[in-house]
Amino acid sequence: MKKNKSIMLLALAVIFITGAAFMQQIKITVKGSDTMVILSQRWAEIYMNKYPSASIQVTGGGSGVGLAALINGTTDIANSSRPIKTTEVEKIKARYNTLGVEIPCAKDGITIFLNESNKVKELTLKQLSDIYQAKITNWKQVGGDDAPIKLYGRENSSGTYAFFKDEVVRGDYAASCQTLPGTGAVVNAVKKDKNGIGYGGAAYASGVKHCMVKKDANSPGYLPTAETIAKNEYPISRYLYMYLKNKPTGELKKYIDWILSVDGQKIVTEVGYFPVK
Amino acid sequence: MKKILISLFMIAGTLTGFSQNAADTLQEKLGLLNGRLNALDERVALAESDLGKLTKIKLSGYIQAQFESYQSGLLKTNDAENSFYIRRARIKFTYEAADGIKFVLQPDFSTGNLSLKDAYAVASLPKLSALSLYAGQFNRPNYEVEYSSSQREVLERSRVVRSIYPGEREVGAKLEFTPSKVPVKLQLALLNGNFTGKEQKDADSKKDIMARAVYSLHIPNAGIGIDMGAHAYYGRMMAKNKYISNYSNQMDSTDSNSGSYMDKQWFGGEIQMYFDFLGGTALKGEYIAGKNAFAGDSKSNPNKIKQFAGYYIYFIKNIGKKNQLVARYDYFDPNTKLSGDDAGKDIFYQSLALAWQYYLNDFIRFSVNYEMPWNEKNSAYPEEIKDNVFGIRMQAKF
Repeated sequence: MKKNKSIMLLALAVIFITGAAFMQQIKITVKGSDTMVILSQRWAEIYMNKYPSASIQVTGGGSGVGLAALINGTTDIANSSRPIKTTEVEKIKARYNTLGVEIPCAKDGITIFLNESNKVKELTLKQLSDIYQAKITNWKQVGGDDAPIKLYGRENSSGTYAFFKDEVVRGDYAASCQTLPGTGAVVNAVKKDKNGIGYGGAAYASGVKHCMVKKDANSPGYLPTAETIAKNEYPISRYLYMYLKNKPTGELKKYIDWILSVDGQKIVTEVGYFPVK
Repeated sequence: MKKILISLFMIAGTLTGFSQNAADTLQEKLGLLNGRLNALDERVALAESDLGKLTKIKLSGYIQAQFESYQSGLLKTNDAENSFYIRRARIKFTYEAADGIKFVLQPDFSTGNLSLKDAYAVASLPKLSALSLYAGQFNRPNYEVEYSSSQREVLERSRVVRSIYPGEREVGAKLEFTPSKVPVKLQLALLNGNFTGKEQKDADSKKDIMARAVYSLHIPNAGIGIDMGAHAYYGRMMAKNKYISNYSNQMDSTDSNSGSYMDKQWFGGEIQMYFDFLGGTALKGEYIAGKNAFAGDSKSNPNKIKQFAGYYIYFIKNIGKKNQLVARYDYFDPNTKLSGDDAGKDIFYQSLALAWQYYLNDFIRFSVNYEMPWNEKNSAYPEEIKDNVFGIRMQAKF
């Protein structure tokens, strides 16, 4: 009798463990770009509603932080608002013997934020470069009031910081540029400072004025809209990426395929970015 | 009525006086608070500036503790056949003064082997950020040398690289060009050329030149990456006495030999291939051949010139996130002009190393390694030398 009881208990334990294993949630971790946090969270929420067995955990920290986590093996997906650096690919090669997998998942136009009271409506890329290198320091030099320009930007772990530096500033940021954690913080700072200028992802812009950007003095100015970005007219547009260690398989592949599907790309538009397809 | 008006004026005057006083007091208080706020602002700015300096300092490092078991072939009487020891214990201090300007200092604290591994400054050139100038003590530009010991998949580097680049580092200056739009890396170094880790200054006035070029071909859709490159070494070493033993082990003792220069010239070709197939897979190899020179101090230990050749091939397979299987075959002939009995002690070696890596987490890696060298046989070494080594290493990296 005692023996039968033990066998029954053992059988129950096996059934319980097997059942638990089958019922175990599929967990995907996503880390990186602060610009992509809102978008990534929306994808995760909607996907988890659709597939309750999936568990997707999204955190920010910046593109550099996400890619470092991918290399260390502490995240499955690294979100990045800039292309991966050669040094980061070298680290993936050394640890995983792959090149990593790059998936462009949305397009973004880096928006130039001005305070709503600012008279300036448009700036050229050269003027933006000069402003962020403190070669232009007063709004009157670009058609505004006689007032000092206050610079706001992102921290150096941010992909937006790196992209803006490489594509617009093309030099070192001025020491007077106040760095803030996240595009939301940049928008808030410009909202409160009538002499402020900031930059960041399009999805965060509310309560501030968008500045038109011109390639050069003779070109027309554009705002970042779906149309100008699709036509490559807006001069500061970029892809937003997801990076993986290996080619995705299983649940990870299913999730990424869904992000790139019509349903996933619809969310890109809802959040304020632009679809890749 | 008049009295009432006078009284009202007096009250109004008093009230105005009071409100003027209150406004003055308020103004004073505001001024005081403003002063305090400014002082706080200054203190915050100072603290931010100090903290900013701290964030420019980066600390990294690793410790490799291992157990090794040796076959007895190369051991002397009563030598230990196994031992625990600290292979490397390094801390790397990096100070990023500004974008593209970096200072690096890396001592090694392993027991009985306190040494300075890296001490260099890097500066990206103004208006040309892809070009960096290194000055100080740094790795020689070669794939296996520059591939960090903390990442390498077997315990030690190949025999040919250990032989021609002892200690891996050199003292000198190096230009490195890595354009952002083209997947190439170009390196050009001017080096003392005789550094083994101990010499403060060069042993002669001639400087050695090293150049390396690597092109990276990536085929992302196929998950394939191929890095291919070549490096060349052109240097000379001064003979400190007249005795020079040539490629054929023949002694030349002409008086004018003393103070003359012996050539150190070699060329290497390298390839590293990466495949994303059922997890990561890599195949890496390099072939190096040329002539090398060695300083001597007497007739019995003359200066030597040798023609050498060597290569290595790694096969690495990642299994899941945590495991890695590795096989490396390497070959080194220190004197290709001589073989058999003529080679004397300059016999060639082949070696097979098998390894398993286990990554416990971000910081800890375990390695199990078995290296099986086999040697050319001649009258000096008529038997296979029993010099296999079994090693287990635990590496902690931060």
